[in-house]
Amino acid sequence: MDYLAQFTLNSIINGALYILITLGFNLIYGVTKFVNINHGAIAVVGGYTTYYLFRVLGWQVSVSIVLGVLVAGLLGLLLDRIVFRYLRENKSSNVTQFIASLGLFTITQSVLAIVFGSQLCSLMGDGPARPYNIFGGFLTSVHLATIISALLAVFFMFLLLRYTRFGKIVRALSDDEEVAKIMGINTGQVIGWVVFIGSALAGLAGVLVGFDLGIYPAMGLIILMSGIIASIIGGIGNFYGGVLGSIILVVIENLGMVVFPSEWRMAVAFAVLVPFLIWRPQGILGKK
Amino acid sequence: MEYLLHILIYFAIYALLGISLNLIAGYTGLLSITHASFFGIGAYAVAILTTQFGLGFFGAALIGMVLAGIGGLIIGWVLSRLSGDYYMLGTVGFSYIIFAIMMNWSSLTRGPLGIPAIPRPSLFGLGLGDNLKLFLLLLFVLLVIYLLSRKLVASSFGRVLRAIREDENALRVFGYETTNYKLAIFAIAAGMAAMAGAFLATYITFVDPLSFTIMESVFIMSIVIFGGFASLEGSLLGAFLLVLLPELLRFMGLPSEIAGHVRQGVYGLLLVLFMMYWPKGLMGKYKV
Repeated sequence: MDYLAQFTLNSIINGALYILITLGFNLIYGVTKFVNINHGAIAVVGGYTTYYLFRVLGWQVSVSIVLGVLVAGLLGLLLDRIVFRYLRENKSSNVTQFIASLGLFTITQSVLAIVFGSQLCSLMGDGPARPYNIFGGFLTSVHLATIISALLAVFFMFLLLRYTRFGKIVRALSDDEEVAKIMGINTGQVIGWVVFIGSALAGLAGVLVGFDLGIYPAMGLIILMSGIIASIIGGIGNFYGGVLGSIILVVIENLGMVVFPSEWRMAVAFAVLVPFLIWRPQGILGKK
Repeated sequence: MEYLLHILIYFAIYALLGISLNLIAGYTGLLSITHASFFGIGAYAVAILTTQFGLGFFGAALIGMVLAGIGGLIIGWVLSRLSGDYYMLGTVGFSYIIFAIMMNWSSLTRGPLGIPAIPRPSLFGLGLGDNLKLFLLLLFVLLVIYLLSRKLVASSFGRVLRAIREDENALRVFGYETTNYKLAIFAIAAGMAAMAGAFLATYITFVDPLSFTIMESVFIMSIVIFGGFASLEGSLLGAFLLVLLPELLRFMGLPSEIAGHVRQGVYGLLLVLFMMYWPKGLMGKYKV
């Protein structure tokens, strides 16, 4: 096995996953302006939904995946309608919303643990996925699906944000919500769509992780934290920033894994974040 | 009787944690979700120093408090330029790093196995071994900490802290080095949390990393939020209610595996409801 090839492949696989998370997270952050911790739990819900339909009920894999992604999107939308819309209307601070999302995260995680147990559930039933040999490194079909999903997601999100009326409104909302409202934009409806799309992307990430490594209820925060760190590095709420941040984070993380054992991955990721927090909290592409 | 004592000891430990976190979060407005890390540093200091280095409880606890204080200074300095949800995220990061150290520095912490057989305190050859004596000692410590904290928040130092919470920039204009104040209170509160950790370690005679996760920090934050920001009495009440809650679930006859998750779900739900309808908490004087 070629070490360099495997290193590059691992970086691309992890990077693709981070991109899926940051795309959704940044999209939502852009219009709602608070850090939604529950985004991680939404990802895991997507994974568990697919797990339940595919492995427990024995449904078609494609149907299970689509429904997993949809359920994640709808749950995100539902919670936004019940909790965060109320908080927004009452002009709650971003800290209040952050704590509420932490509460939601705790609820979601406990419900999953009660229903499915705390142990690891793998969506891949019959042993690990078949590995392909590419330029001397190994890549499974799940990895391939992750990379393709991320590329497609970036491509479509780019088209959506750049060339549609919806995209223009989202960008306007990200820049200045008050002005957008004055211009007669139905902000509630747009926020709803944004939350749905962002949560569905998280769900997709959760499903892919479930096929690759398996999922457990507490996994949400770990999936999300990498995404948030990548977002902050690149510029929080910024589409390109999320992609750039994901690439930077994943390269440094994988370099770090050469020196440290892999259990230290999260610690390395946060160590990368610290200098940004101190010297450039708005991220590389962020505006002051 | 033993059962009642058990609940009272837990109440006292979490009251210490609630009061100390309230000094940071309620009075100074620094919403830290890493209090369980300092709690853990205190617990591990006692565990390691008493079992491997033959130190007594009080010496070990003191070293633990100093270490936690230093940790508080470091994290406080790193995050000194942040505020709001970024600040909270930064503390989550610190929490991961401390957890990774407890989990992975096996030669010192025995990793996920934890450290058993931690001795009870003894003073001048007098054993404080039984639970009643330990509780009385803990109660005495809680009383001292409570009175000191009251003195502290009523002092000119305390007034500066509250002013930082309300408008840090204005205070800077008046020539206050607000960073120093924030660092000082962070280190003090971290030391207090470490003391609570020391008592936990000696009471249950065992420590492991899973007792000091983010979820534990969220739990401590819930105590502060339920009781109310900037109210020391509120934190006592919050600790009392939240320590009692799982006991009620136990009486409902839930199996212990499920009960833990239900408990978590319930306080997650309470967090959300408090943020929506009662953001000041039961006795709070300040809304985030």
